[in-house]
Amino acid sequence: MSARPGKYLALIPVLAAYLGMFVFGRVQPDMWQLVAMLAFYCCLGQAFNLFLGMTGYVDFGYVAFVGVGTYGMALTLSRLSGVEGIGFGALVIGLLAAAGMSAMLSIAVGAVALRLRGAYFAIATIGVNEGFRYFIEGARIWNGSEGIIFSKDLRAIFGRETAIALSTFWADVFVIVIGASAAVVTLIYMRSKIGFALTALREDEDAAKVIGIFVTKYKIIAFITSAVFAGLLGATAWALKLTYVYPPDAFEIHYTVEAIIIVMLGGAGTLLGPVVGGLLYGLSKYWLAIILPGFQLLIFAPIILVIIVAFPEGTVGYLKKKVRGTALERYIV
Amino acid sequence: MTDLAPLLRLENVTKRFGGLVAVDEVSVEIHHGELFAIVGPNGAGKTTLFNIISGVFIPDEGHVYFEGEDITRLPVYKKAPLGIGRTFQIPRPFGGATVRENIAIGAMFGTLSGKVSVDEAMEIADRYVDLVGLQEHRDKPAGGLTPVDKRLTEIARALAMKPKLLLMDEAMAGMNPRDIDEMVAFLKRIKEEEGVAIIAMVEHIMRAVVGLAERVMVMHQGAKLVDTTTKEALSHPEVIDVYLGKAPE
Repeated sequence: MSARPGKYLALIPVLAAYLGMFVFGRVQPDMWQLVAMLAFYCCLGQAFNLFLGMTGYVDFGYVAFVGVGTYGMALTLSRLSGVEGIGFGALVIGLLAAAGMSAMLSIAVGAVALRLRGAYFAIATIGVNEGFRYFIEGARIWNGSEGIIFSKDLRAIFGRETAIALSTFWADVFVIVIGASAAVVTLIYMRSKIGFALTALREDEDAAKVIGIFVTKYKIIAFITSAVFAGLLGATAWALKLTYVYPPDAFEIHYTVEAIIIVMLGGAGTLLGPVVGGLLYGLSKYWLAIILPGFQLLIFAPIILVIIVAFPEGTVGYLKKKVRGTALERYIV
Repeated sequence: MTDLAPLLRLENVTKRFGGLVAVDEVSVEIHHGELFAIVGPNGAGKTTLFNIISGVFIPDEGHVYFEGEDITRLPVYKKAPLGIGRTFQIPRPFGGATVRENIAIGAMFGTLSGKVSVDEAMEIADRYVDLVGLQEHRDKPAGGLTPVDKRLTEIARALAMKPKLLLMDEAMAGMNPRDIDEMVAFLKRIKEEEGVAIIAMVEHIMRAVVGLAERVMVMHQGAKLVDTTTKEALSHPEVIDVYLGKAPE
């Protein structure tokens, strides 16, 4: 008998949420753009939670991984558009390039920044994000400040119809799949030694070292995993969907802030938190933009402040406490 | 060879912070399964010495040998699996994790082979939950426990690492005499059952020192004052001077 029966049951609610988004978008086609936005926020939170939630380190340069992933796909499609019959191979190579480039950036950043703690880590990562953007612009790599527009390349590779379907439908489906995959990886980590090491280092890094945990190793594992999912998100939600990439957009710090809000709102370090946070954040942003256009952010800021003060552990963190010891405990993680 | 070597040997260990000599040429040997106390007033260098043994600080001079092997410059996380467990002055269990998970984390990462699976670690944890008597708190987050239970969680976490040496930083600070006696009895029992040597650091609870330690090192201003049996150490004139001040002449 396993010591912990049903240890993967917690996947049911989180995967149901992603599936629900997809089904809702199919049933209500005019709501597909809303679904796409919600999926983006859930996926962004899910990917970021792998690092922020599990280690407790706040990366203010997180969007850089999304941005680099966007470039990975953009560069692949624009370079490979001349290759005869490449078709969906280009998509696979683009995703691999996005994942690989984000992973490489995360290793480079992590090797330096993960030696720092707390506020120093946060500040260093802001520098990385801004620095990388100005490096692309200043050194004129990857087309510099002009960015890459590759809608033509997308049509050349896939044909007009498929290219449109990719941008308006499949890109969003990919985002849902990436978010769900990030959730699966999160639970696998939580249930393995990696998760226990990360819990220890999040709670007390010095005590973790003293009991034999090589904290740097586990921080880097979480950082790379989180960055790879961010890169895949960029490759799909931004590159495939928008078919252009432009440095100021790809490295916009605003998205990092949104990612932090989503994770905190839902519950940092929980499995279900990012989905709940993403839905809460996305839906209220959407709703406020309709009822109070122009004022949504002004209204939103105090609401978030109140929620974060009232529920410091996030919505799911609060729920988890409530269901402790009940049959629901296995599902809300 | 390893059997003949003392469990832990400090050789002229010195640590300076700027102009302050926190630990001044301390040499001492601790044997397998021994109950040893480091005693000294506030600022004597006890905690610094602990941090040197557990690897938080690297000494400026001198060497630390564990079972005959030089571990002076080994990083903290590599020392624990050799068999060095420690607890902190203010207990530091992982507050968000349950008591059982806390102990399991010790079992998972604190052993040399590193081959303990999560499920095995949970089973090991259950055994130590029973040993420290925290059954009813097993699945509660450690952050919400009383200070004594947090301390027991921390001790269980350290024991789950199968240490040969357990460093206890002010294990009995803030306890009432009854709790102290219970803790002393408990430490003696785990010494017997787990075969672990214990170095307890004590500032001024002599009740604990007398009850627990077979041998005592008294520190004063970073240096070793005496290192002898408990009875002798506590009646040593210099030790009395350190604690009570010199009589006016």
